[in-house]
Amino acid sequence: MACQIQCTASPPLPSLPTLTPKPLPSSSLFFPLPLVLSSCLRSTHVPSPRPVAASLSAVESPTSTNGFGDSKTPLLEVKGLTAVIAETKQEILKGVDLVVHHGEIHAIMGKNGSGKSTFSKVLVGHPDYEVTGGSVVFKGENLLDMEPEERSLAGLFMSFQTPVEIPGVNNIDFLQMAYNARRKKLGEPELGPLEFYAYIYPKLDLVNMKTDFLNRNVNEGFSGGERKRNEILQLAVLGADLAMLDEIDSGLDVDALRDVAKAVNGLLTPKNSVLIITHYRRLLEVIKPTCIHIMEDGRIIKTGDSSLAEVLEEKGYAAISAA
Amino acid sequence: MAALAFTHQNLLQFTPILTPPKPKLKPKRTKTKLSIQTITAVPQASFTDQYVLQLADALEDSLPSSPSSLPLQKLRDNSSVTLLSTEWPSRKEESFRFTDTSFIKNSDKKPISHPPKSLTFLDVSRDTQFKSFDFVDGFLVDSSFDSSKLPDGVYVGSLLKLSSEGILNRVCEFLGDFEWGDLFWSVNGLGAPDLMVVYVPEGCRVENPIYLKYTSVEGGDEGSKKMPLSNPRVFVLVEKGGEVGIVEEFAGKEGSECYWTNSVLEMVIREGGKVRHSYVQKQSLSAAHIKWTSVRQESTSTYELVEVSTGGKLSRHNVHVQQLGSDTVTELTTFHLCVGDQTQDLHSRIVLDHPRGYSQQLHKCIVAHSSGQAVFDGNVKVNRYAQQTDAGQLTRSLLLEPRATVNVKPNLQIMADDVKCSHGAAISDLEDSQLFYFQARGIDLETARKALVVSFGAEVIDRLPYSFVQKQVKDHVKELLESTRKGPS
Repeated sequence: MACQIQCTASPPLPSLPTLTPKPLPSSSLFFPLPLVLSSCLRSTHVPSPRPVAASLSAVESPTSTNGFGDSKTPLLEVKGLTAVIAETKQEILKGVDLVVHHGEIHAIMGKNGSGKSTFSKVLVGHPDYEVTGGSVVFKGENLLDMEPEERSLAGLFMSFQTPVEIPGVNNIDFLQMAYNARRKKLGEPELGPLEFYAYIYPKLDLVNMKTDFLNRNVNEGFSGGERKRNEILQLAVLGADLAMLDEIDSGLDVDALRDVAKAVNGLLTPKNSVLIITHYRRLLEVIKPTCIHIMEDGRIIKTGDSSLAEVLEEKGYAAISAA
Repeated sequence: MAALAFTHQNLLQFTPILTPPKPKLKPKRTKTKLSIQTITAVPQASFTDQYVLQLADALEDSLPSSPSSLPLQKLRDNSSVTLLSTEWPSRKEESFRFTDTSFIKNSDKKPISHPPKSLTFLDVSRDTQFKSFDFVDGFLVDSSFDSSKLPDGVYVGSLLKLSSEGILNRVCEFLGDFEWGDLFWSVNGLGAPDLMVVYVPEGCRVENPIYLKYTSVEGGDEGSKKMPLSNPRVFVLVEKGGEVGIVEEFAGKEGSECYWTNSVLEMVIREGGKVRHSYVQKQSLSAAHIKWTSVRQESTSTYELVEVSTGGKLSRHNVHVQQLGSDTVTELTTFHLCVGDQTQDLHSRIVLDHPRGYSQQLHKCIVAHSSGQAVFDGNVKVNRYAQQTDAGQLTRSLLLEPRATVNVKPNLQIMADDVKCSHGAAISDLEDSQLFYFQARGIDLETARKALVVSFGAEVIDRLPYSFVQKQVKDHVKELLESTRKGPS
């Protein structure tokens, strides 16, 4: 997260021959990357992230995760995470293992009720869930010991599946409060309303929203698509090292989906990572994942590359769990 | 029986059928206050609440001895009769079940008989862009009245100075004609020294709001039981198609003095008329504030009320909206805040007798003190002929301290069978899901709570139609909420 703020626009990294770099946004604190990301593949991991030639074919990664002897610490390392619903004590997560390195895009797919959303909510510190075992290390720190706001300030962002309405608090005030909380943590002076507006104004283009939206109350009267775009705007404004997008594509029409995907791609850098939770292949065609995990019954049962999504689409989950 | 309370010789001549007088009559009464012809209904025998009697006498004493204009006199007479047949409200009475008025009952109530001599403080507070029409201790301050910016035909001023016969007649038609009042309504009727009339002629649209500022100057110190009483009264008549905005602001001097403001605003909105009524109450935290707002709406008229009440040790607003024609629009939006040992009470009643009325009520209250109490009784009567009514009511209360209390009684009485009615009530602390949303974005719990509490009230405050009022109120409420915040929990 800190690096997000300090980054300046720099020329795109050597890109794949098939792709052209996108034009830079006006006040970019990030720079666009080729759509196809590199370096997830454990077998070819190199210390300085650089896009590796296109194909993600060398895929046979084992279902569990390990470092493959690389010297870089993973961004997120989840080991044997178990969690229950706080009220009923019903177990939802039954031992999740996951490693996410910098600059990677992971997707988690799975049947309804498999625990995908719960997983992201547990990581973010939602009070409805209680962790009963396992460990989560984020940027070298124990995430489970941190309060939700501390986790957010550490660089973990989750875009909610159903963002809540907050009547009476308008978008720009909310974003300003959150942004200034980060500035405070970094020891930087907080921004006043005018300065903040200047900072945030260019980002609206990113999510294809008009300025009048800033004066509306948070999510009040927003359509599904608008709420999701609001989440992405918050991501753009606040920045994150690991952004978890919980079903960002649900309820979106074709155009809105395109806007969201474009925005997310625009925010990617070699330093930050994205964890996408989704049901459908549609989004993954636009935001190409480094790897796809299939979750079932509270565990990750299979990991593969994007071809896994095709298998899923054609044959359904039964084919995966049987395999 | 009423006659017996005033032992003037003349009066005894026409009351041979009454039972013997009660022993506690005051011998010194000498004025002829009651005109004979208006006493038609004789109150029931053997019942005079001692507190009421005392108060009635004191009110009589405070009025000027010269005869006043006819409508005012008629009002006083009728009120006197009603008053003496009313008991001081007890907790056993439904409409005062949760509201303890003993604070007023047991104080030494003295109606203020003339305004303070020095009015210099008025100039100091006059910093708004709109000139205000001032009431001080219930008395109209004529010198403050500046009608130059008002359109032709509009009258804003004292009844006594009203020269137009036409308007006077119209006022007489409607004044005081109200069968739903309570003791406090009658107290004002009897004790109001003057009546302010706001008259908007047919088709006239008044651009600038009419800003009524009520200031309470005389007050008893904390500890003394002295409670000066003022009875300001306003009558608003908006003719067909007229449009006006009225802002009422009740304040006192700095400090926490004890006084009782007992005000009444009566309004008649003729066909197609529109009134936007803003009511801001920020009186002393040791004062009593009782207000009646009675509105009669003819067909296709619109009445919008936005209220923000933060002051008073005991503050009660009674609203009565009577629908006299179809297709009316009524919107009541109110916000009550208790930051100390206060009671904030809203008793509202909307009576619909005609079809296709639209009424929406939103009431929000925050109780931020463990001895604070909020009371809400919202009654909507959708009677038999009020078909195709669309009536909604929502009340949300926020309790921020242990032992803070709120008593809500939303009630809809529906006789018609083709209507759309809804009501909802929620009492809670702040919503967890909203607090978590803040936390998930890096904002700590304390800041989140503060933002949500302020925004809870903002939903109502944002509806105040005039920005100068809105800003003042917003700042005031923010200040009050800041003062209740303790350190991080």
